[in-house]
Formats: sequence, structure tokens, C-alpha cells
Amino acid sequence: MKRIFDTQLIGPFAAMVIVALIVALTTERFLNPGNLSNLSLQVSIVALIAIGSTIVIFAAGIDLSSGSMVALLTMILAQMLKFVGIPLVLALPLILLMGGLLGLFIGLITAYGRIPSFITTLAALIAFRGLALTFNNGSPIFSLDPALEPIFYGKLFGVPMPFFYLVFFYVLAAFTMNFTKLGREIYAVGGNPSAAVLTGINVRKVQTTTFVIAGFMTAVGAILMSARLNSGSPNYGQTLELQAIAAAVVGGASLAGGRGNILATLMGAMTIVIVQNGLNLNAAPSSVQNIVLGLIILLAVGIDMWRAEISGLMGRMFGRPSSQQSSNVKKEA
Amino acid sequence: MTPATPLWEFVDITKAYPGVLANDKVCIRLMPGSIHGLLGENGCGKSTMIKTLSGVQQPDSGQILHNGKPVTISDPQAARELGVATVFQEFSIAPTLSVGENIFLGNMPRSRFGVIDWAKVHNEAARVLAEMDVDVSPETITGSLSVGEQQLVEIAKAVAMDARMIILDEPTAALGEDEIERLHQLLRNMRERGTAILYVSHRLDEVERIVDEVTILRNGCVVRASGETKISVSEIVSAMVGEDIGEHYPKEQNATKDIVLEAAGLATNSGVKDVSFSLHRGEVLGLGGVLGSGRTEIARALFGTDELTGGQITLNGKPVRFRREIDAIRAGLALVPENRKFDGLFFNFRASGNVTAASLGGLSRFGVLNLKAEEQATHDLIRDLEISTQAEEKTVNFLSGGNQQKIVIARWLFSASDILILDEPTQGIDIGAKIAVYKLINRLTRAGKSIILISSDHDELLAMSDRIAVVQHGTIMRTVDAFDLTHDDLVRASADTPQSNPKEAFA
Repeated sequence: MKRIFDTQLIGPFAAMVIVALIVALTTERFLNPGNLSNLSLQVSIVALIAIGSTIVIFAAGIDLSSGSMVALLTMILAQMLKFVGIPLVLALPLILLMGGLLGLFIGLITAYGRIPSFITTLAALIAFRGLALTFNNGSPIFSLDPALEPIFYGKLFGVPMPFFYLVFFYVLAAFTMNFTKLGREIYAVGGNPSAAVLTGINVRKVQTTTFVIAGFMTAVGAILMSARLNSGSPNYGQTLELQAIAAAVVGGASLAGGRGNILATLMGAMTIVIVQNGLNLNAAPSSVQNIVLGLIILLAVGIDMWRAEISGLMGRMFGRPSSQQSSNVKKEA
Repeated sequence: MTPATPLWEFVDITKAYPGVLANDKVCIRLMPGSIHGLLGENGCGKSTMIKTLSGVQQPDSGQILHNGKPVTISDPQAARELGVATVFQEFSIAPTLSVGENIFLGNMPRSRFGVIDWAKVHNEAARVLAEMDVDVSPETITGSLSVGEQQLVEIAKAVAMDARMIILDEPTAALGEDEIERLHQLLRNMRERGTAILYVSHRLDEVERIVDEVTILRNGCVVRASGETKISVSEIVSAMVGEDIGEHYPKEQNATKDIVLEAAGLATNSGVKDVSFSLHRGEVLGLGGVLGSGRTEIARALFGTDELTGGQITLNGKPVRFRREIDAIRAGLALVPENRKFDGLFFNFRASGNVTAASLGGLSRFGVLNLKAEEQATHDLIRDLEISTQAEEKTVNFLSGGNQQKIVIARWLFSASDILILDEPTQGIDIGAKIAVYKLINRLTRAGKSIILISSDHDELLAMSDRIAVVQHGTIMRTVDAFDLTHDDLVRASADTPQSNPKEAFA
């Protein structure tokens, strides 16, 4: 357990608590049970997709395709349910499979075609949105299936269903990253790909696997998106990929790869959603929300980058030498 | 010849970092026309001193005299204006720019209209290169040159600015024997012209060859300074380490008659041609040769990294074919790569992740890692190899080069490999850590493991190998007992000159 709940979680956790306190103190309705339950619904889709985005980042890749893939998959799901007549119990696993396959496709081109993932997923971001528009003449499809909505709005023991999805997938992801061979290989590939090759790790296979995971988690997000609105639309999921990446970054994942804690991504997603919720409750326009989101990302990365300087400053303020600085010196001297 | 006034004199330079006194009243005098060696183990304060001399940082106390007058070197630009050029260990050249552009980087000759005077850049660069006797066109893209040539470009920058004092921080760490000789010739020429040279190196054999005087640091203090008198390598070593370390190369004879690996006619697209040799149990087979002769490529061919286009590897009497690295690792091979920073270590992991990286399959069951076994094995290896215990808690970027190298070797102890290919295993680590690596080699061979040792340090290669295969142009010219070979034989045999005749070299 020491391994999962390590020091990397302190920063993102503190950030989340501070943001929650500020919002709670300035906004009356924030702590209403209704609002809190709404919050967990809001955070669920981005937080689930962020699992995949974060794992791709751990392997030193980036996934920009998830927002468009959500739109494509909601349209395919809607098409299947409404026009093809595939039953829900069959349609849902098919969507999950398709998400995984789309991820596999991106992963293969990236890893074996040796094209940077920034480019392959940027291409996918554009192409998937276009593909989504080829269904139903580009119009949204509504009222898909009455059994779809409970997947998002249903409750178990009074707790919203998305809460259970979050717990299930984050526990699974944390287990994979910290206790399995695959997780270790993902960190190794992100940390130093050429060393990974020379230790016998199949780097391309590992990279591809991260995109399969990302595609699968995006499909989970797409199903919840469809269930939430009982519809499919080529316009769903705009900038969702950026919010998912932001959650990873606010959670402290290094975009250079190899470093970060998957549970911190959940806290990163919560932090972002709490801020958005607070602004919403105070009737801030969406323009302000976007500006604030941008500033949060900048601040989170800045704190990470300036860690040495900040701890040095703290050391001078409180009169003790910072351990990080002195050990750096020893290394160079 | 030597004037009485030093060009530079550094008096009682003291510099402290939080928790460490890096330089404690260090005094160094640099005479014009003299090569001054600055020596010491990692962490002794050499880098701190160089940073002070080149204006990167300010000393806490002490005095700097230039031609007898006190000066302050406030920043690197001020150092340049005072005629001090520093060639740092990590290159500061831009690989995508031309040689000429690099030589004048930050100081481009301009025409009257403020645009770069390209004719002058190229003519001046060509003049400097010719003066240095370096056969490289100023228009060549620097990144396409060999590491050694890039190093020479780096020095050309110093020559072009007409430096009166040049600081070289481990200039030969990445160079082959003939390139080192060229560099030394260049330094001798500069010495003739009255330049003061401060030379930092871990390679004591070359220090002995080129340096006029030395200053040795230990724990931030000067422990030994020689003026006119020469001092021997063994004196230097004991001054650096602070005790008599006994045998510098503690070689054990553990080779047996059994053949474990046999290569016949190996060839690859990366330049390996018709490579044949055999490796015995408990043997250290040295691969000698200049940088770029194909030693690393032979290692890659054996390890399944480069595909074989011909030939056959036989392991314990059975023919094998390695399609990728994992096949070689499973068959009991191991590779400690030349560049531990780029190809060896995972800086995002503590010791444990680095030690087990090549054995994750064996460490896991149904894909789940046995973390307890990992921690225990790492703990034992750290104690066994005398690695800093910090490695258990901290990521390996906080460790010294010697500790880092031990961790890469520990990886292959954990994987229980039988044949270890060590590519420059002691490059850039201090003398104490080097001896630890030699002892590790002994321990491995004693346990019946076999080693292929690649090293540009000829003394090390001669002392630690049982047999030496001389590599030239991607092929093994001849394999001989290390005992029958002298340093000069090896240098001549591996020298990449058309008139050299390998048969004569061993006559």
C-alpha cells in the first residue's frame, strides 16, 4: 500500500482540498448533497477517459483523439440501437471492443510506423470527428433506449452508478500500474525507451497496449456520454481530450513520461471539475471557465517544474537546507 | 621558458553549497605554456572549481589574480573577455548547425549591414581548422561528425576566440586512441604558443603522458600539488583515494577450457564482417580497437539488437538465433551498454526497478510482480556490491556514476546471466569505483561466468582480459593472449592506418 499512496499524491490531494475549501467557503450551494452528487456525475466521464490518457502519458506518448472518438462511438452506438436494432446488451460490449480496436489501430501506426503519437492522434482527432459526421447525415440521434439512461443516472444503495465505475476502474488501473509486469514496463518505456529495448522489453508492444487501454477507456466514457443524454451526436466530447490530459498534468504526471501516479489523475480531474462547478454556481460565463482552466494547467506544471526552487526558497525561509539541492550538488561536484 | 608571473592564480578559493563544503581554500597557479592537470575522484570538488574559473558561479571567498592583478569573473561572458575558454564534458555544440556556425556561435562575424558575413565565417573557420590540422569542412553539419571530431570542433571554438587559457573537462572520455593522440598533439602545439591549459581527466595513463604539473583534490581540499617534478600514477592514485589501494588491476585467472559461446562468420548491415571467435567459461575476452572500429556493433550483433545477415552463434554447443534482445537475455546473455545514461538506466526508478528490469517475466506470476522478492533481492545486491544505500529510497539520478554503473551490472546479476558483454564499463567513473568493477569481474568469472570486455582504456583492457581480439573495420584481425601483448602493440595493432600491418604489430 505504501507503494500506491506515495508522496506523489500529497501535492494533487492538497491542491484538490484547497480548491474545494475555497469553493465551499465562497459558494453556499456547493456542499448541498444534490450538488455533490452532481459533481460525481460531472467528473466521471472525464476522469474515466483520463485513465487512458494518463497511461499513454506514462509511456511518454500523448492521446489527443479521445474527444473525437467519444463522438464517433456515441454515433455508432446510436446507429446500432436506433436503426440497426442491435440489443443494448450486445451493443455495449461491441462499443467497448471498437474503442479498443481504434486504440489498437492508433497504437500500431504510432509504434510500428514510428510516427509520433502527437501526430497520429492529432490526425485521429480530426478524422474521427469527420467519421462521426458520416452517420445520420451528420445529425444527432435522440431517444436511443430507455434502458440506457440508468447506466448513468441509476443508483445503488443511494450512490450514483458512475461512482462505482470510477472506483472499479481506478482500483484496476492503480493495481496494473503498481503491481503488474505491464505497469512496470509502461513506466520503463516512458522513462528510457532505449534502455527498455536493451533489457528485453518489447517497447512497441507496450506502447501499442497503452493506446488500446486509452481506446477502451474512451469507449467507457462514450457509453456514459450516450447514457447521460440518451443520444449520440457528432458534436459530443469537444475538448474532452484536453480536459483528460489536463487532469493527468494537474495530477503531476510528467509529459516526458515515466513519472506519475494514476490515482493523482483522479484528484486532478476532481480539482478541475470542482473549479468548473464553483464557477458555474457563481454563474461565471464559459469564457471565464476556460481561462481559469488554462491557468490551473499552467500553475500545476509550473509548480512541478519549479519544485527545486520552491523547496530551496522554503529552506531559506525556514532555515534548513533542502535535501534535493544538496544531493544535486553532490552529484555534480 | 616559463615566466615567473603566473597567467592566472587562484588563492584560497572557498565555495560551499547547502550541506557540502565543495572547495576549501583551493590554490591553483596556471603558467602560460604549461598543461596543468586537475585530478581527483568524483565529488572531490573539481567541477565546482571549473565552474568558478569559468565564471559560472562566484566563490564564497578567495582571490583571483590575472597577470598578478586581482579580478572578478562575474559571468561566463566576462571569462571569455579575459581569454578563458571552457570545453565542458557535455558538449555545447548545436548538432544541426554547420561546423563554421558552431565555431562562431554567439560571436558571428557581421557585415556592415548587420547580416552574418558567411564568407568570413567559412574562411575563418577553415583557417582555424587548418591551424589545428583538423580535416573537416566548415560547411559540414556538426551532428554528422564522429564524437571525436565534434570534440575537436568544440576545441576549435576556443582556438577561434584566441583563448589564453583553456579549461578541458574530461576531453577524452568519448575518444578513441588515435583521436586522443590528435588532441594531445593539438594541446602540445597550443602549449608551444604560450597558452595555459587546465586539463581534467580520469584517465591517469594519459595524464602521465601530457601533463606538466598536477593539482590533486580530495574532499574539496588540495592534497597534493607538483611543481616542476613529475609524479607517478601510483602516487597520484594514492593521493586521490587517500590510502594505498594496493593493486590497481586485481586480475584473477579464472578461464577454463570449456567453450560456452562460439561465433562463426558473423555479419550485419551495421558493418560487422566475418567475425569469428570463441569464448571460454570463466574467461574475460577483451575487444580492442579504436572508436568506430566495430566493437559496439559486434556486441549488438551478439545481443540480437542488429539482425545477422550471415554467420552462426553457437551457445553451449547448440546453434542459436536471437531475433531480438529478449531471446539473447533468455539464453543467458547480458549487455552493459557503453552509455549508461542513455541506454542503461531508468532515472525514474529507484535501484529496485533498475535491477529487475531485465527479469520482469521471472519476477511475476500471471503478470503480477512479486514486489517483496524484488525489494529483498535489491537490498541484498546493494549490500553485496557496496552500492550507496540511498539507492533503495531514491531514484538513481541521485547516485554517483560508479554507483549507477554497479546498478546496471547488478541487473544482470539478478537475471543470473552467464555471458556478460561489458561495453566501456569504467568510462567516467572514479578510480575507487573502477577497482570495484574489476573485482566484480573477478567475482563473476570465479563463478564460472564469461565476460566480453570492450574498453578504450588500453591498460585496463590488457590487465583485465585473458585474451584480446583486435577489432578493425568491423572484423577481428587476430586474437592473442593478453599476456603476450604490450600497450604499444595494442595501440599499433588497432591504429586505423592503412600502412599498419597487423602481423608485424605482434611480431
